[in-house]
Parts: sequence; C-alpha cells; structure tokens
Amino acid sequence: MQEFLQLVVSGIATGAIFASLALALVLIYNAMGLVNFAQGEMAMFAAFIAYTLINHGMSFWIAFPVTMVLAFGGGILIQRIVIKPVERAPVLTLVIITLGLATLVNGFAGFIWGYVPRYFGSPFSSDSIDLGGVFLNERDLGVIGVSGLVLLAVYLLLQHTTVGLTLRAAAHHPEASRLLGVHVSWMLALGWGLASAVGAVSGMMVAPILLLEPNMMQTIIIYAFAAAVLGGIESPLGAVVGGLVVGVVINLAGAYIPNAGDLQLAFGLGIIILVLILKPNGLFGRAATRRV
Amino acid sequence: MTALLELENVRAGYGPTSVLHGVSLEVPDGSVVSLLGANGAGKTTTLRAITGGVRWTGDIRFAGRSLRRSPTEDIVRRGIAHVPEGRGICTELTVDENLRLGAHLRQDKAEVKKDYARVFEYFPVLKERRRLSASTLSGGEQQMLALARALLMRPRLMLLDEPSLGLAPMVVRSIFEIIRSINRTSKVAVLLVEQNARIALDLSTTTYVLEVGRVAVHGASAELQGDESVRRSYLGY
Amino acid sequence: MQRVRTAPPRYWLVAVVVIFFLGFPTVISSFLASEWAQALILAIAIMGLNILVGYSGQLSLGHGAFMAMGAYISAILAHQYKVDYLLTIPIAALTTGVVGFLFGVPALRLSPLYLALATFALAVVSPSIIKRPHELTGGVQGILIAQPDPPPVVGDLFTTVTGTVMTSDQWIYYIALACALLLFWLAWNLSRHRPGRAMRAIRDGEVAAAASGVNVAGYKTLAFGISAFYAGTAGSLFALSTGFISPDTFPVSLSIQLLVGAVIGGLASIPGPLLGAIFAYFLPIGSNQWVPSQTWLPEQITSTVKNAGPAVSYGVVLILIMIFAPNGIVGLIRTGYANLNRRLRGAGDRETGQIPPDPQTV
Repeated sequence: MQEFLQLVVSGIATGAIFASLALALVLIYNAMGLVNFAQGEMAMFAAFIAYTLINHGMSFWIAFPVTMVLAFGGGILIQRIVIKPVERAPVLTLVIITLGLATLVNGFAGFIWGYVPRYFGSPFSSDSIDLGGVFLNERDLGVIGVSGLVLLAVYLLLQHTTVGLTLRAAAHHPEASRLLGVHVSWMLALGWGLASAVGAVSGMMVAPILLLEPNMMQTIIIYAFAAAVLGGIESPLGAVVGGLVVGVVINLAGAYIPNAGDLQLAFGLGIIILVLILKPNGLFGRAATRRV
Repeated sequence: MTALLELENVRAGYGPTSVLHGVSLEVPDGSVVSLLGANGAGKTTTLRAITGGVRWTGDIRFAGRSLRRSPTEDIVRRGIAHVPEGRGICTELTVDENLRLGAHLRQDKAEVKKDYARVFEYFPVLKERRRLSASTLSGGEQQMLALARALLMRPRLMLLDEPSLGLAPMVVRSIFEIIRSINRTSKVAVLLVEQNARIALDLSTTTYVLEVGRVAVHGASAELQGDESVRRSYLGY
Repeated sequence: MQRVRTAPPRYWLVAVVVIFFLGFPTVISSFLASEWAQALILAIAIMGLNILVGYSGQLSLGHGAFMAMGAYISAILAHQYKVDYLLTIPIAALTTGVVGFLFGVPALRLSPLYLALATFALAVVSPSIIKRPHELTGGVQGILIAQPDPPPVVGDLFTTVTGTVMTSDQWIYYIALACALLLFWLAWNLSRHRPGRAMRAIRDGEVAAAASGVNVAGYKTLAFGISAFYAGTAGSLFALSTGFISPDTFPVSLSIQLLVGAVIGGLASIPGPLLGAIFAYFLPIGSNQWVPSQTWLPEQITSTVKNAGPAVSYGVVLILIMIFAPNGIVGLIRTGYANLNRRLRGAGDRETGQIPPDPQTV
C-alpha cells in the first residue's frame, strides 16, 4: 500500500510536469488552432537559461521567476518575428514552421551548451517526509507544489482578470473581439508569452530529474501531447487533469509491468490512440474533430 | 455642423469584386439613420468599411477625423460599436464575460455600474442568465446580449446589422422599442441596416436606400414612408 | 467533364532530367553515386508522403516508421532467410502498403491535428518497438545487409561506356533510379486520372466531395496505403544502399525531414518531391562543408554555421522558406516572382480585406 501511494504521488509529480507542458500546448492551440511542436524545445532552452543563471550564483528560487519572465519575453519575440508574418497562412505551413523552430532551438541549444548531459541540482532535498505513516519524497511534493502554484496562477489570470478575458476572447473569437476594441494581435503575442512561461516551468522541473541536455524534452512532449489529447485539446483544465492521469498511469505501468523500460513511451502512444478511438474529444473537450 | 459620421464617395469590395461604387451618407449626432436595400446591395459592406473590415477608397470620417488606415480595434475605441451580421457573440464565454468585454475599455467604474443597471432593466433575461454560457441563449436573447454589450461600450454611434434577422415579430418589436429608447435616453446615434424596411422607416429619421452599391434614394424616413412609388420600387411593399 | 487544370506536362524537361540521372554516375565517384542514390530514395518516400498530404490532404508526421518497416522486412528476408534482395523490395513494399492501408482506416476518424499527433507519436515510439523482438530484428545491434555486385551484363555495359569497373554503389544507384522512375511515373498517372481527381476533391473539401459521389473513405485509406507502399519501397532501398540498419536509423527527425522535403519541394506536384529530397538530403551536408569553404563570407557567419551544425541552418532555412515561399520550390517557379508578395500574406485574405466569419459566432 505504501508503495502504491508513493507511486501515485510520484506519478502526480511527473504528471504535474506533463500538465505544465500540456497547458502550454493548449494555450497556443486555443489561440491559433495549431499545436506548437517547438514547445518542448522552448522549455528545454528555458531550463538551460535557468542553469546558466544558477551557475552564475543566482539561487534557484530567484532564477525560477527570472527564467519565467525571460521565457515570457522569448515567447512574445518568437510570435512577433516568426509567427506573425504567416498569421493567416494555412495550418500546414504553420505546423512546418513550428517544426523548423523546434529544430532551430534544439540546434541552437546544442551550439551554445553542447550535447553532454549536465547535472541540474534540485532545489528540493531528497529526503522523505512522513505524512501519517506514508513516506513521500520531498522532491515529488516540491514539484507538485511549485507546478500547482504556477497552474493556479495561470487559472486565476485567465478566468478572473480582464487581461485573461481579452486573451480568451481574442483566442476564440478574433473578429468579434476586434469589434470590441481588443488588440487581437497583441493578445496572440501575449498568449505565446504565457505559454512559453508555463512551458518553462516544465523544463525547470524536469531538468533535475532527467539531466539537462538539448534532447531532454523530446519524450516529455509526447506525454504532454497524450495529456492534452486525453484532456481535450481545447481545454486548459483538461490539460492539467490529463497530465496528472498520464503521469500516474505510466508510473504505475513502469512499476507493475515487468520490463516496461522504454516501452513507457509506447504507453504514451497507446493512451493517445485509445482516447482518440473511444472518446475523440477527450475528457473535457468539445468537437475537437473536424469542424465542417 | 459636421455630422458624426460621414461617408464620402466610398468604394469598397472583396478582391476583384467591387461591391460599393461610390456611397455617400451622413449620420448626424444622436440621430437614427437607416440603410435599406435588397440582398447584395452592399449594406453590410458599408458597415464593414466603417469599422475597417474591408478595404475602401473615398473618405470616411467620424467626429471629423478620417478613419483611413486605422485598424478595427482603434476605430472601435473612438466610440463606434458595431453589432455585425450574426451578432458576433463570443459563444465560448459566459453572458457576463461577454458583457464585461463590452465594458473592458472603460475607466469610469461608477458609470459602468449605472450602465449595467440600465442594461439589465432593458434585458432582464440577461441578468438571469449571467453565469451561463452565451451559447445557451436563443436567437432573440443573443441579439439582446449583442445590443447590451454594445451599450456597455457607451459608444457615440452604433452600427446595427440586421438586428431583426431570424427573430419572431414580437421579439423584433420589443428590441426595436429598446433601440428607440436607447437612442432617446443615451443620445447614441444609430446607423441601422435592415431588410425589414417597415420597422426601420418607423424608427429612423433619415433613410438611405442602396441599390447595387449606390445610393438610389435618400431622404426623411417619414416622407419615404408616405411615397408609394418609392416603397414599391425599392422597398417591396 | 472538366479537365483537371494542371501544368502542361513538359515532356522535354522530363526527358532531360531522366537522361541526366541516367548518365550521372558515369562521371561522378562511387561515393557520390551512393549519396545521390539516397537522395533518390528519399524522393520516393517523399513522393509517397506527397500523395498522402498533398493530394488527399491527410497529414502524417510518421512516415519514417513506414520506411523502417520496409527496411526491416527486406533486411530480415535477405539476411535471415537468404532471399535475393531484389525480390525483397516488392515484398516489403506491398506488405508496408497493406499495413498503411489498414492504418488508414482508424485514421479516418481523426481530425487533421490528431492524425498529426498520432503519427508523430508513432514515429517517436517506433525505434523502441523495433528494439524489442531482438532475435528477429537484431535489436540495438541492427542488421547488416550484403550489397550485391552488379550482374555481369550490366557491369560490362557500364565498363564499355565509362571504361571503369562498376561498383556496388553504382549498381545500387541504378536500382534506386529504376524504382524512382517507375514510381514517379505511377504517381503521375495516378494524379492525372480518377484517383488523383478524387483525392484532390477530398483534399479541397470532403463534404463537397462526398456530396459529389466520391468514395471519401475508400480513397483516403487508399492514399494511406499507396503512400505507405512508397515509403516501404524507399525503406527497403535505403537498407540496401547503406548496408546497415538499426533502430536508430529511423528517428523522429527522419519523419520530419520527409514532411519538410514534401512541403519545400511543393505539395501536390510531381517534380516537388525530387526537389524537396535534394534539399532535405544535401542541405545538412552543404551547411557543414560548402558554407565554411566560401571565403567571401565573414568568419563569424561561417564558424557559427559550422558549429551550430545542420540543425540551426535547417531550421532557419525552413522557416524562411515557409514565410516567403510556402508553396515550395515548385510553387515559386509556377506562380512566378510577381506573386511572391501575395503569398507572403497567405491565402490572400489580407489583400482582399475580407473578414472570414468566426467559426464559433452564431
């Protein structure tokens, strides 16, 4: 029982990482109707930035928000420079551009920092905390806590502020929003910035676990896709729930199924396919299949 | 005195197709002007030109300043509320969120509160359904929401594109009464595009009739109402 | 019945290209022949993808997996069962084609986005899946393929023409070329007749196509099958050409490279895949070798390009081409420089100023 609980909590921690990246994907999907295939690489880049800041003496807890701000700015920049010129292009073109962006960011990171994996110290101790007889890893709890806070903040921003409202309006109803005085173009840039900042959290939480290197996020993004699909690609709440579910499921699978190893990834694929067959709209989604 | 809205020899179209071939009209401050005509005459295109949804040549001036080269959101911020064809309701948001979008640019909190009160007086059903998704509203209720939202912008001019479309006659009547009331109380000018000529003539002071992208007839609504030949040729009754 | 409006086939141009490729290996080294063989093989795979994406409008980010399938089927048959390699090519191609066809059935239910995600996930996962049955696939160690010598007839002909002995690589080049010619010709025919028309109709508007009596489901799955057939052929040839395959030979980046090649060459065109393949294959090589050797470029640029490697230049070029020439090289050539500005803004919307209605607006 103890082990099961630990696995679940551990799975929730992993899931929180997936949830952050999945949320970033959903934010951009809502704004532009496309999946940003570069999201993982952008998160990786942010993690490297945090790493560099920490190496220059900054404490993790200062580097964390600073990196998020930098990631926010980076996201806006990318939207302005790379995406905006082709705003009205067909989706396939945009998808290819995000693929190009992914290649570019990955290569750039490799260029600056090389491909040798680096050790990224975790801000949490590796002790276990005794919670009513169950020993839970402090690291897992830390990840859950930090990610949870960020996700909560994003939720509050989107649902309870005017900025959040105009963001959502611009994402779903650009033409109607223009007629209400919303600067849709700026809102899209803001959306990208926000997504980038949220994705950065994912990167910074993963780095201590996986060892920091340019290809770090490539498997994570598959899980994030699975999470987003499971939750319903249009639903931010779905992304979070989906992330947690995926995290728990693959953690349990990894422990209870012998020789799972790298098949965990196939599990992620399996989830995607299963969901798409059984419930194409995901748990919280709505008409995610073609709009005729 | 210059009118609030002036269109001077406006030509507009979509790509190679030209829809407006030199439309000139005026909306004086605080008045209701109707724009009538058959389908395809260019009524909607005229409204779109005003708020920058379509490229145009000629001149369009609002409160004396030209609207050329202004993007839609800036034009709207100058005080023009445009309720488009199809109403432009944000169905992904709740009724309340739609209303908040209307008011989001305003700084005068106290006045906004007053406007909310007034809006709920006009449209009590919106108050009931505040927390519900806008997609649950019926056609008539959505029209009310669109109007309410426009009101909350406290515009100087409202552009209404076929507010009667798809609505039951009783609903149409009550909505038009409210529009009249809005115009009288808040002194908001209205440029009304309508297919329902009768009710538009009733509401407006001046009327322009468009035919194939040009103003075919214009004059005081009361006179046009009385002129049988005009009604037969252009308005279909 | 309306004629499909395509560019008039320029037979003379095709003849020139074919002759060029026929004669090419006689003047270049064996190593270069091997490289160009791989470019041609990539072109076959990209043509397959083009049929799926460009003609029937379904997006796949996982065609590398089909290539892997073709490669492994051929390799296993040749290596373990001692089947003559040339025989394994059609077997691998057909098998992969059938699998692709079957894959196309559930794919019908997915929206374009989800199809992209599902195929992407497939591409990521396939190396792991290949590693598993390691008695069959050789696991991580992969399979070695013996490269056949040219048959005497061909070898003698070659020697008579060029005066040198034909190498394995050159023979393999001609095999690849023959397959490429055959499959390109097949694709061309397909596009000009009913299947091509049906697929284009589906791509441009499924509902309308269905209303016009086109068997949408049938053609879409057929497109998947055909495109997998091509990828399987390419995979099989690829194994032959490189002499060795392992799970790492077919990473995600290959699938992306195929899609990129298809788009850059120009979707829904016949010459596009060839141009795209040349681009996709030689750009990484070029940026590593050619750019640093250009002495007129400032030092900073060349060293950055060299160190950042193919990835950065690839990404940058890709983005630039998507912004300035989203219809690919063929599109650029076809519509001419004058239209470059219009394409810069995409779909002409901004030019006309027309506001498309929001999909959710009631």
